[in-house]
Amino acid sequence: MTERLRRLSFWLLPPAFCLWVYWFGLRAWFQQDDFAWLGLRLQVHSFADFLSAMFAPMAQGSIRPWSERAFFMACSAVFGMEALPFHICIFLTQFANLALLGAITRRVTRSWLAGLAAPLLWLSNPGLAVPLSWTSSYNQVLCAFCLLGAFYCFLRYIDSERRAWYVAQWVFFVLGFGALELNVVYPALALAYALAAAPRFVRKTLPLFAVSAAYAVLHHIVAPPQVSGVYQMHWDSAVFTTFWQYWQWALAAARLPDVRPMPDWFAPAATAVLTVVLLGFALWRAWRREFLGLFCLAWFGIVLAPLLPLRDHITDYYLAIPVIGLAMLGGWSMAAAWKKSVALGAISFVIAGLYVASGLPVSRATARWYFNRGRKVQTMVAGVAFAQQLHPGKLILLNGIDSDLFWAGVYHKPFRITGGNDVYLTPGSETGITAHGEVGAIGDYLLAPAVAGRALEREEAVVYQVGGPRLKNVTSHFRDQVAPTWKKELPRFLNVGQKLFADLLGPSWYSLEGGYRWMPGEATLRMGGPVVPAERLHFTGYCAEGQLAGGPFSLTVSAGGLPVGSVEIRKAGQVDGDLAFPATLIGREEVEIALTVSRTFTPAGDSRKLGMAFGTFAIR
Amino acid sequence: MRRLALIALVALAFTAGCKRRDKIVVQPTEEEGQALASVVRVADPRMAPQLISGFHDVEQNSWRWTKSKFTVAIRPPSGAATKGAKLELKFSLPDAVFTKVGAVTLSAKIGTTELPAMKFPKPGECTYSVEVPATLLNADSVKVEFTLDKFLAAGAAEQRELGVVVSTVGFEAK
Repeated sequence: MTERLRRLSFWLLPPAFCLWVYWFGLRAWFQQDDFAWLGLRLQVHSFADFLSAMFAPMAQGSIRPWSERAFFMACSAVFGMEALPFHICIFLTQFANLALLGAITRRVTRSWLAGLAAPLLWLSNPGLAVPLSWTSSYNQVLCAFCLLGAFYCFLRYIDSERRAWYVAQWVFFVLGFGALELNVVYPALALAYALAAAPRFVRKTLPLFAVSAAYAVLHHIVAPPQVSGVYQMHWDSAVFTTFWQYWQWALAAARLPDVRPMPDWFAPAATAVLTVVLLGFALWRAWRREFLGLFCLAWFGIVLAPLLPLRDHITDYYLAIPVIGLAMLGGWSMAAAWKKSVALGAISFVIAGLYVASGLPVSRATARWYFNRGRKVQTMVAGVAFAQQLHPGKLILLNGIDSDLFWAGVYHKPFRITGGNDVYLTPGSETGITAHGEVGAIGDYLLAPAVAGRALEREEAVVYQVGGPRLKNVTSHFRDQVAPTWKKELPRFLNVGQKLFADLLGPSWYSLEGGYRWMPGEATLRMGGPVVPAERLHFTGYCAEGQLAGGPFSLTVSAGGLPVGSVEIRKAGQVDGDLAFPATLIGREEVEIALTVSRTFTPAGDSRKLGMAFGTFAIR
Repeated sequence: MRRLALIALVALAFTAGCKRRDKIVVQPTEEEGQALASVVRVADPRMAPQLISGFHDVEQNSWRWTKSKFTVAIRPPSGAATKGAKLELKFSLPDAVFTKVGAVTLSAKIGTTELPAMKFPKPGECTYSVEVPATLLNADSVKVEFTLDKFLAAGAAEQRELGVVVSTVGFEAK
């Protein structure tokens, strides 16, 4: 009976604990990058598109076909924008991780208590809160599954020397590259364990390095490292301060003051106690020629190592996989203390309690925060989806968007998934939104007062107030009371592919087609002028294959009669322009932008002379 | 074999059932026809559109600081177009403002018609209350513009221009 109870608790307690701690995470709705991945399916129209959606580098050059592309495309194909099934997938993967971690720890420590404690300690770490609450960080959970799966197979191979386990390790390892780039560290983990506990198998880990090296080279070629921004790697002494930051977070106590008022001495004191206990135990065991503790510490260091050069992007969920090593070490130290004496066991439980009591409030608060924010985003997106059905083809203006809702929802364009209407913020909304230049510009989401006012007058737009339990239609109030107070300045963002901006275009433009518009050899448009010298003209255009039949051609841009620049176009597809304005135009209320292509073409079955197709123009 | 077929059938039914789902469960919006409020609680996000200008963000979920001039759109209560109504602005004149500027006078106007101004000689809770003639209240919504004669200019106490702390503003039917 006792054995049965022990076995039941071993397998069921960690998943139950996981559900209790991260209950709000399980029920959180989509937010931030989720919408980019949910919209991926909209880009797939052919097998070539599918391959591109699955394997082309995206989002900082990452290629994660299983944990992001396939996961989102498959789940959204079946469940649409229901978040719960996505989270159930994530939690099931995590339950498998907990079972693997328990089995691994029990196998390497020969203690069921350590095997039970390790998953519980791992779950108590705030580093898991984001992966279990935010769908886009499923890559962490799936990568942990691949690493733990491969390592478990390696252990079984060491014990049995059956080739099937060795092959299974390779399968997990290779598949892991589709979950997260961090999988590249697995050979070092296997080697570290072999050196610590099974030296005879060191040689068996070496071929794994060849695959990781090949992946690293390939990844470097298809997704070159970022040279600016928060994902730029800095190979300098900052890696040590970054490591120290992560070490403090890993022991949880340093995070507690974020959610609960604590005396100043608490975090450093608790971190010191936990550091001394973990390092002391590992070193004491090493002195007794048991190197498992050093392997556990090495797990933390090895998995964290590739993330240390990201000194400008220190984030708690990067700890999700590294802390597995500390959880194993913690579980083992508790079991060893318990075995030594009841008194030592009790002390170890108190110390573990300090860690759990520090970590759990942070984990639960983080999950609840994601849940609450997801609710706000859901209310907005589901309300706009209803408005899109109610007012097909009309422009939707949102009022009352705060900073959090903008960056968690609006910025990631969730509305293109739910309907075809264009959605903007009301003029003046930017005053309530904190700018994050490193993430993106707010201006592209704002409609200029003059354009919004005109759209309201012509009944081409509806306005909804966001903030309550439901979106509220406040169109007539805005049309009659608010719009007359707006300044009549021209927009500094213009989408020629929208009817809304038609009266800002010169007479030569052709009719609207889909989300773009063709120009002939020459065309003009009017915009609000640049305010400061740093502002530039950004535009997106499209060059058809047929136009290049006669070789490269040029697009010349002028503003206010002054030359701005010229772009030579050598290949078909999207053309992105970024040109500086002449100093004399700075501060002008209005500029006329003139576009001239050096050659037009006439496609088969079309009598028009076409220059280029355009989408957006923005001054920022 | 039979078991395999059963599993395949269940999976197919499950998938087919799922495919019928909407892309998103929409949430009905509150459409127009439900008129603007006659009494505006300035902290209520649903009433935020009625605050046209001159209000800072909500604080403590219950009030907002104003600037020296602030404008609100209010629905006249039923019968106001024949009987008139009482305009009431409930606000607090904080010590922080009073100690620097002293007594303040609050005036209001609807369209081009000036309403009587009131002087507030002490800090604390205050109510600006004036009669509004019926002739000014015969529209679906009325824009009321308030002006303070004294206030804290931007930079005097903080970055924002600060007037008074408002909780509600609205018409009371006669």
